[in-house]
Amino acid sequence: MHEVLLTLGFGLVTAAILSLSAVAFTLEYAVTNVANLSHGEILTIGAYAAYLVHQSTGSALLAALGAAAAGGIVALAMHTAVIDPFVRRGFGTMPTFIATLGMSFVIQNVLVIIFGAANVAYTIPQGAPHLVGPFLWTSAEEEIIISALGITAVLYVIITHTKFGKALRAVFQNRDLARVTGINARLVGAATWFLAGLVAGYAGFILAESVGSFNPYFGFSFFLITLTAAVAGGLGKPFSTMAGALIVGIALEFTGGYISASYELAFAFAILATIILVRPRGLFANARRTVFE
Amino acid sequence: MIQYLVSILTEGAIFGIMALGLNVIWGWSGDFDLAYYGYVALGAYMTLVLTIGQPTPPAQYILGLQLPYLVALPVAVVSSALMGLIVGLIALRHLRGIYFSIVTLGAVYVLYVMAGQYVPLFDGYNGLSGLFNPMGDTLGLDYQSYQYFFLGFCAFIFILVFIFMARVSGSRFGLALRSLREDERAAAAFGRDIYRLKLKAYVLGAAFGGLAGGLFAAYLSAFNPSAWSPIEAIVLYSAVLVGGRGNIKGVVLGVVLMIILVQESTRFLPDVPGQPNIVPALREIVIGLVLVLFLRFRPQGLLPEQRYIDRLPHDRDGAPKVDALPPSDSRTPDHSTPSARDRDQMSPRPIPPLPAPGAAAASPVYRPLDQDRPVVTPSVSAVLVVEGLHKHFGGVTAVDRCSFRAQKGQVTGLIGPNGAGKSTAVDLISGFKLPDAGTIFFEGVAIQGLPPHRISRLGLIRTFQTPREWPGLTVLENVLLARWDREQETLWRGLIGFRQAQRVASKSELVQAREILTEFGLDKLSNERAGNLSGGQKRLVEFARIRMAEPRLVILDEPMGGVNPVLGERIVAAIEGFIASGTSVIIVEHNLPFIERVAHHVIVMSQGLVIADGPFESLRSNQSVIDAYLGEVPL
Repeated sequence: MHEVLLTLGFGLVTAAILSLSAVAFTLEYAVTNVANLSHGEILTIGAYAAYLVHQSTGSALLAALGAAAAGGIVALAMHTAVIDPFVRRGFGTMPTFIATLGMSFVIQNVLVIIFGAANVAYTIPQGAPHLVGPFLWTSAEEEIIISALGITAVLYVIITHTKFGKALRAVFQNRDLARVTGINARLVGAATWFLAGLVAGYAGFILAESVGSFNPYFGFSFFLITLTAAVAGGLGKPFSTMAGALIVGIALEFTGGYISASYELAFAFAILATIILVRPRGLFANARRTVFE
Repeated sequence: MIQYLVSILTEGAIFGIMALGLNVIWGWSGDFDLAYYGYVALGAYMTLVLTIGQPTPPAQYILGLQLPYLVALPVAVVSSALMGLIVGLIALRHLRGIYFSIVTLGAVYVLYVMAGQYVPLFDGYNGLSGLFNPMGDTLGLDYQSYQYFFLGFCAFIFILVFIFMARVSGSRFGLALRSLREDERAAAAFGRDIYRLKLKAYVLGAAFGGLAGGLFAAYLSAFNPSAWSPIEAIVLYSAVLVGGRGNIKGVVLGVVLMIILVQESTRFLPDVPGQPNIVPALREIVIGLVLVLFLRFRPQGLLPEQRYIDRLPHDRDGAPKVDALPPSDSRTPDHSTPSARDRDQMSPRPIPPLPAPGAAAASPVYRPLDQDRPVVTPSVSAVLVVEGLHKHFGGVTAVDRCSFRAQKGQVTGLIGPNGAGKSTAVDLISGFKLPDAGTIFFEGVAIQGLPPHRISRLGLIRTFQTPREWPGLTVLENVLLARWDREQETLWRGLIGFRQAQRVASKSELVQAREILTEFGLDKLSNERAGNLSGGQKRLVEFARIRMAEPRLVILDEPMGGVNPVLGERIVAAIEGFIASGTSVIIVEHNLPFIERVAHHVIVMSQGLVIADGPFESLRSNQSVIDAYLGEVPL
């Protein structure tokens, strides 16, 4: 029982990071109807930005802010340079989807040129593990969980209680109809991507901190898990995405702990494929979709 | 230098085969398959474990059979095809678009992780090696001449693959695949079993991936997880996209540009000391950027997919009357001229007189139905009998235990207010949705629960509220494809058939299609891509397709939506034409004067129920119809 609880504790840390990444991904999807395959690269850039800031200032807080800012800027740039021109011209889902894959390829390799392909690591002290209730966490992990909860609360308020959040939901439901009613869908799109980028950049930082080291490809492999969580929650639905992240994060920690960590990715995809095939609209939707319905 | 050239050409041939295989899946069938490189890798791994000897510890791997290369290669192809079949069976069943791509990405990652982590399979990260100069020893070739021999071998296989693809591209099978890419619903409505067709294309593509993998293994003489990554497929995608998706010559051009040229030009960049990754990284940046830029500015590629161009005699006054029907690429035109009889048949059939231009603006004066319609003796037998049809979505009952029938040789109108369940009823009858309960008999055969293509093949075809043409195909191809023919559409017929069988359509079909296009006034547009037509013209293409398909019952879903009065007259004429040629008609419509004019019998639905049934006149006095639908608007 004790070991189960410990694993659950680690699972909660993974789930916290995963939920931030997945919520950011699903927000991007919600406003532009694009599954952003270069989402993982926002995390990677956040991790590198934090690395640079931490090296020059030595402050973990500034590193976190730097990660968020870099993520926000990169996501906004992605939206402005590629996503919006594609969406605006009605290019359809698939070409935009493929373009994001191309973008991911470009960013990974630009990072390889700038930073090299080797792993780097932070020198931020993690603090000693101590018991928090039944869970064994370091103070860094505590901070991860608390900050994830805080960001989630802020996002909740933004999406449900502000005019911007209302516009965002309108664009998700029906972009054209939203535009007819006077919503600037482009602006809402850009702002949402920026917001998602802030969250994803920060998620990249805490992920790198929790994993220990990172390289230019590290965001992409985590993206595959992000995708599983986002699809589990239902694409475009931020709050059920968090629940999806919780389930996937804990499930992965248990398979990692009890089967073998090297099959984690394969296992994540097994979950993903099963969800898509059985409940394509997410675990919490109740409709089954076929090709024609 | 020569040796360098030989190795580039060998690589080019191998990547050419890979890209041509991918083109079947993405270029023709239209599925963005991220698992593709997995089939290449599996082909390479299988070739290796079949040809090399037993593992010496600590190495571990399966098989190790030391088979001759020429035996191992087909086995590798079959294993890739099998894996493609398994992935395709799962992923193509219900998934399309990004969901399909995500699942295939998952599939290739599972394979990648298995190959890398599960050591007993392919020796994990060490990978496999030891396939040196296959066939070379038997032929007694030294290293130098072996390079030439292997280039010749790869080039020979590449040419065979290219010929194969050229034949598939020009065949009816190839055209049917493209119809899936362009519009799946329409393809199903005209009898295509989309799951099977897509699966065929997918397995075919996977097999060619495996073939290229087998050659690649021999070229590299080794294969391991660091030699490939699941995302490698993106390089192949960039080649297909840049060259021209769907165009096999374009695909080859794309391989030359994106794989050979980009790779070889970056090879000559000076090395940056201490930075071994810069050159490969630059190459991938170029590939990624080119991919995005082409998607944005030239999605059709450098050599866009060519469509079959029909040269009608009357298109080209004085020019030789060429009846060319080659597939778009690689075939010489057929210079046989149409016989005099053919040309007579092609002469335009008179169309019922249209109102004068001035009259068109005014509301048309509808005549009573039977004055100028062709004399048809309405048969009393029912062509369609619906009993107790029921469908609910969540808490909403869309169709509530409906029963009605449509008589053979008649026009049956199905009317009712918005939300009455008419369109759902059409979807249920045509198999696009599954009924919760009820029976549907079409000519005495129970069809409820059958998939759309089966119903279509039985002779019941439906149209859609918004026309669903295959936008990237020409108008003529749209009409030709309306007729489904099991014989003509098999892959084998396209491959091994003679000239006649190679064509997308038989001569008589072509003549008929031209005639129909002339009848609908579309003859001048027959070589235009259907997606470029106006809304009204698309509507006419839809009618021309029905005419070509010659079903025994057609269900028209709001044919008058957004149609101007002149076009309306054409549609009335077309409906009369259907009846005259033995096609019974059901029309779902809101335009009541139109229904009054063409329908023999009218069914009124409201809130999922059939509330009245009878000739139009009888409905005027029916109080429930007035309440539910007609209201106080004078008719």
